[in-house]
Amino acid sequence: MDDTSRRRFLAVAGAGVAAGTVAVTTGTASAAEASRKPDAAKESVVAYIKDHRSTELRLLVGEREVIVRDRDLVNRILNAAGGN
Amino acid sequence: MSSHREAPEIAKDPVADGTDVYAFVSPKRPDSVTLIANFIPLQQPDGGPNFYEFGDDVRYEIHVANKGHATADITYRFQFTTTIRDPKTFLYNTGQITDISDTTWNRPQTYTVTMIQNGNARVLARNLKCPPVNVGTRSTPDYAKLSAQAVHDMGSRKVFAGQRADAFHVDLGSIFDLGALRPFNDVHLISMPVMNGVNAVQSYNVHSIALQVPIKELTRNHDMPTHQSHPGAVIGVWATASRRKSRIFDNETGTYVKTGPWEQVSRLANPLFNEVIVPMAEKDEWNARPPSGDSRYAKYVNHPELAGLLPVLYPGVFPNLQAYTKARADLHAILLTGIPRGVVRGFQNYTGPVEADLLRLNVAIPPSASPNNLGVVGGDLAGFPNGRRVDDDVVTIELRAIAGLTIPLVDTYTPDGAAAAIDDGTTNTNAAARVYFPYLGLPGGGYQTMPGTTQAS
Repeated sequence: MDDTSRRRFLAVAGAGVAAGTVAVTTGTASAAEASRKPDAAKESVVAYIKDHRSTELRLLVGEREVIVRDRDLVNRILNAAGGN
Repeated sequence: MSSHREAPEIAKDPVADGTDVYAFVSPKRPDSVTLIANFIPLQQPDGGPNFYEFGDDVRYEIHVANKGHATADITYRFQFTTTIRDPKTFLYNTGQITDISDTTWNRPQTYTVTMIQNGNARVLARNLKCPPVNVGTRSTPDYAKLSAQAVHDMGSRKVFAGQRADAFHVDLGSIFDLGALRPFNDVHLISMPVMNGVNAVQSYNVHSIALQVPIKELTRNHDMPTHQSHPGAVIGVWATASRRKSRIFDNETGTYVKTGPWEQVSRLANPLFNEVIVPMAEKDEWNARPPSGDSRYAKYVNHPELAGLLPVLYPGVFPNLQAYTKARADLHAILLTGIPRGVVRGFQNYTGPVEADLLRLNVAIPPSASPNNLGVVGGDLAGFPNGRRVDDDVVTIELRAIAGLTIPLVDTYTPDGAAAAIDDGTTNTNAAARVYFPYLGLPGGGYQTMPGTTQAS
């Protein structure tokens, strides 16, 4: 989704939800799209980027905290979260 | 207060707020130690319809260190489950509660006790019943019976978890009004007439977790030390509360979704440590840290802010304290390492050089036949700071220690006359403690307890 269409999507999505909350669809299927592994989490997961300048992502799942260092993943989340 | 609302963050989270920890050799069963951890401060007995209760989303723990490194060698973990019996009513109880199993109690709590030792977790008991709160004369007409039904045996241990009367007494209204002590009002910087202290905690309840455990379960070599100098005679005790790392409000259900590992949000051992010793900007961090890292706070023990304030607030009353500029080795020993042999005759509760806020109990010292609520300072080696008993007057003990009364234990020093007299003027006007487990008094009832008075000027 390019930036223009992304903004348009957010504007539409924002019209139907509470203030401050948006729903984002980040891109369509592509060659890089991940598929779920058998051991993927099957419960609520909270993703936490404490420092937007770092490549660290903390995933809270069950009673665990999984620390992931993945620049691409962090960038995609930051891109999805910003710029509206 | 001892640790009621002692730090900015935990003051906003009372369900997880530890208020007091007690550890003493059980008077009626001297082969055991009683450990008590109180939470949820300043409960108005009439605080319905949603009365006070333990948090299902809080992990409450009592820790014991017995090897001198100030990390938990034994942890007792308490986790609660609340049930709503009748979702169609707003009532806490739909009739009289005359038995702890009565279905008229609409919001019963049960709990699981787990013991963690050497990395192994073992469930000691499940589905143990808490008592309801003391709603009032009509709803809970025989509260002593409900309380007794909530004392459970777990093998050679006893356990209780539920509402009790707070046993701590202190004149909050005066102390936090520029360090005033009403009996010494006339010599305060802002002089006022002398009067008796006012026990601010009187008539408030707490939620208490009490555990009575054989001494052999707690000592390093699982033995029963018979002499105070026995190398394994001293245990260190503290309590914590933890919450899940993430809490997200789900507006569809109006509840919070909790995710992630348990993170410590409250810690308590010696009364008043975080409250009076640690500066405000560091109190929240202190609550999240383990005692084994307390060396970073040693500078505040060695040069406590309150010792510097007393001569300012009471001009001319504490000249010797004002002139004493050395590090307070007496407070360092009492609060951070335990008192080594040779300082107090017939006593030691030293746990080694690791600086840690622990409530240190020498289990070889038997219960006192005639307890003195000034503890070791009053010549009673079975009281604070040798652990802490329910009736120990820890405010007076710590005030006098900070005022310099205990410096002569470790240095050549003449305390100011006021150091031996200073107190906040309160006496224990709380509900009477019980002589049997779980020792804390019965909680005040909502119907029976009268609110206090208020004045704006």
